[in-house]
Formats: sequence, C-alpha cells, structure tokens
Amino acid sequence: MSAETTSGGSAVAGSGADSPAGGTHRERLAAGIAAHVREFLREPVHVVLLLALPPLVVEGYGRAMASFPEFPYMTTVPATLGRVNGAVFAAAFLAGLIGLFQVVSAVQADDRLAVCGFSRAELFVSRLGTVLAVSGCSALVTFGALWWRVDVAAPLAAFGALVLAALTYGLIGVLVGTALPRELEGSLVLVFVADFDDFLASGIVDVDSPVVNVLPLHYPHALFRSAVLDGTVPTDDVLAGLAYLGVLFALVLAAYVRFAGGGEAT
Amino acid sequence: MPNIPIISGRSGPDDESSLDTGDSEGASGAVVLRGTGIEKAYDSWSPLDSGVDVLDGVDVEIRAGEIVGIVGANGSGKSTLMQILVGALDVDAGSVERAGHVGWCPQETLLYDRLTVEETFDLFGAAYGLSDEAIAEARDRLAERLDFTQFLDYQVRHLSGGNRQKVNLAVALLHDPDVLLLDEPYTGFDWETYLAFWGLTEELTERGTAIAIISHFVSERERFDRIYELRDGDLSVSDGDAGATDSEPDETVEGRATERDHEPNTDPTEVA
Repeated sequence: MSAETTSGGSAVAGSGADSPAGGTHRERLAAGIAAHVREFLREPVHVVLLLALPPLVVEGYGRAMASFPEFPYMTTVPATLGRVNGAVFAAAFLAGLIGLFQVVSAVQADDRLAVCGFSRAELFVSRLGTVLAVSGCSALVTFGALWWRVDVAAPLAAFGALVLAALTYGLIGVLVGTALPRELEGSLVLVFVADFDDFLASGIVDVDSPVVNVLPLHYPHALFRSAVLDGTVPTDDVLAGLAYLGVLFALVLAAYVRFAGGGEAT
Repeated sequence: MPNIPIISGRSGPDDESSLDTGDSEGASGAVVLRGTGIEKAYDSWSPLDSGVDVLDGVDVEIRAGEIVGIVGANGSGKSTLMQILVGALDVDAGSVERAGHVGWCPQETLLYDRLTVEETFDLFGAAYGLSDEAIAEARDRLAERLDFTQFLDYQVRHLSGGNRQKVNLAVALLHDPDVLLLDEPYTGFDWETYLAFWGLTEELTERGTAIAIISHFVSERERFDRIYELRDGDLSVSDGDAGATDSEPDETVEGRATERDHEPNTDPTEVA
C-alpha cells in the first residue's frame, strides 16, 4: 500500500488506494453492469413501460397519420409513414430516458462506489454498457411492434437503423444526465430535443434546411425509411450516422470527465 | 497527551501505510490521514445566490489506533469535510494525504435501492477488489455482528431505516480499512446495535484502525481520544474526556479515555 495525496482543485477518486486483493477491470465491469441491469429490471413499471410503450407509439402514430393528406414528396401512404416514424421515435426516446436516468438516479451511490475503488472509467463503461443493453431491448421490442403491422423490406438493416437511433439517443440521455444531473430538468431537455428532432428529421414535413442534417435522428430516420420501405442501405447515411455516433461518444466522454465526481454537499 | 496503543503491526509508524508525521507531539500512533489547509466553498451560478464558504484552511490529522470525533452545528461543514477526506469531493485549496485503505460510511445510506443486501456486498466487494470468498466471509461476519443476517436477501429499499444504516456501516467495514470515516453512523440504531457498534469500534482501534466519527454533538466524550469542533469554517481540537459528563461540543475537556467500555448514559436516539 502506498500513501496517496490529493491537493487543491485536483480530481479525487478512489481514495481506497490500491484494491486490497487486486480484482480486474473485467470483474468490476461485469459486477457493475449486472448490478445496474438488475436495478432496472427490478422496477416492474420499467419493464411494463419498455414492453407497452413501443407498440402504443407505433400504432398511435400510424392511426393518427392515417388521416394526413398524401403530399407528393411522401414515398408511402401516411399511415405507414406514421408507423415507421413512430418506431424511430419510440426506440430513440426510450433509450434517451434510460440513458438519462442511468446517470442521474444513482449519482451519489456511484460516487461512493468510486470512493470504494471503481475507477470513473469503469463506472462510465458500466453505465454505458447498461444503456446499450437496455436500448437494444427497446429497439427489439419496437421493431417487433412495427413488423407486426408493416411489411419490412430489409429486416436486418431496419433493426440496425433502430439500434443506431436508440444508441444515439441513449448517448444523448447520458450527456444530458451528466451535464445536468437532475431528473425533472433533464427529462424536460430530452422531451423538447427529441420532439423537435423527430418532427423535423422524420420526413413527414418536407424541410429543406442544413439544420435538419445535423439533427441526431436525421441519419437513423433516413436509414430506417430506406430499409423498411425500399430494402436499401445507403452507405453514405450509414457512415454519417456512425460518425455522428462517434462524435457524440466523444462529447459524452468529455462531459463525464468534466462533470462526474467532485459531487455536491449532501 | 493520548497514549495510543498499536496492537496490530499493520499500521505502525514504520509501516508503509503510514504518513511521514513530522510529529512534535509525541503521540505513538502513525498518522494515517492528514488534511492540510483545506478550503471549500460552494459557488453559485445564479447572481441572486452568493454561494457559501464552508471550510477555511482546515487542518486535521488522524492516527492509527485512535478514535476522534468531529462535531459542529448543523450546516457547519462536517459532512463536506468528511467527503473531502475520503475523496468524494474536490478541495478548492489544501491537500489530503491518506495511507492505506479508507472506509467511508456516509450520513445518507448511499446504496443501490433495488439490489439485495447480499448483492450490495458483492458489488462493493468487487469495488474493493476482494475475492468472492473474502466478500462472503466479511459479509457473514458483519451481518452476524450487526444483526442483519435475516435480511441478506432483502432489497435495500425494503429495509427499515435502522437496518439500512447497519448495511451502510457494514459496507464501509467490508475491506477491513486502515482508516474508517463515519458520518452520523448510529442514526436509527436500536440500543443493542448501538452498543455493538461501540464494541466494534473498540476492537478496531485495538487492532490499529483509525476512526473518525462525525456527529452533531458528542454525548460520550470518554469514548474519544480527541474531539475536533468545526465552527465558522475552522477546526479546533481538544482531547477526549477522561470522565466528564455529557457536554456541548464547545466545552473543551482534557484527558484521555480511561474506561473505553463505559456504558452510555443517554438514549442513543439523542446521540443521533
């Protein structure tokens, strides 16, 4: 064991110094992800909402859009377009909320875990791993809800696009939760961002603006529509969507390093 | 001056888990935690809120095998100081030196509500780097000692306040720390658990563990080697009590405890 010194303004973590008996990163990550997933699944309301909301949103969008006029720029009937867009919104928004609450709900317990020996990187990866796992489930449930009502031309590509949408918003949720670690305020930010984003990126209204191209759901929406309706996978959109995800990941990482730890008085 | 016995060799002055004391007071226990010139303020982003200066150049030192109290009024910064000492909170200025492993029992039970008690130990044990066998051994020993064995498969959110606090304390003890920092540790304890707690601290200090306990006030000064009082951002120190009665924290009493197994003469709820 060695003495540890921290001084003014420096980040302080892991005051437990070296672990008494070692322990690998992999073991700590596995323990962290298992604990976080258990925490999520043990709240019955979470599970019910995860299973119930996607079908409701997909069908609700479809029925609402059924009375929408068929404009020339639309590539399919409005009801189908509604279900397609509802699927992207459901997968993305659920993942965003999961990301937000994964970070916010247990921030103080996470701080204690960091003091006990979890590195901030391990905490970050374990939280992110949980977001990815639950977001994947959210995308799967949403895809099932859509497939039940719409003929999907390229199922695997469509599911991939939904996962991309979910991951993108999962990271946005983590980003919001890290920079603004408050449940109500974070949720409000997420609601407004997701609504604005989904409305403009969905293609339901023909918006010709460069702003639309930088919205988080622009590429997932484009990919999902292509896969579901045409059975095609535009490479440019895939690359752009993945690049967007990479930039978002870097932002989340920077925010986590900047804001996580240091805590507040309790 | 307190004469602090070091029975266990793990935290003696020559042990690498001690800090270079440069001590001029002649105490026998090695310094295992030292804070120097600690300053902390909570700034506000709002122009309508001026923020709060909490700690203003605090110096604190804890030695192996001793038990110190840190008292102060509500809002005096006790919990802030403890969070800084364990590393949960950054300092604005000053430094904190720690030797060996630190155990932290925060005032609020910072646990994961939907994990069972057993899973809680597994998670924190993994954080400490303990093997599965070591976690199981420590968990069972602490559960029996603090009397929560029958609740090991309960989710934390379903525990009573007192049992949550027992688990909170046990998590801090899981890895047999060299320094134990306890923030209002006996809140919600029943009388038997309160006595078991003090019995446990006595055993730990005899083995060389340094313990700091934060409280609103200390009703049993004879249990402490030294008592720090936090007031107006500064920390003043007095020796523990060799026989004084219950007193307010600003009363300075000289001398070292002579009867560590003295029964408390107040209701423990008053202490919490």
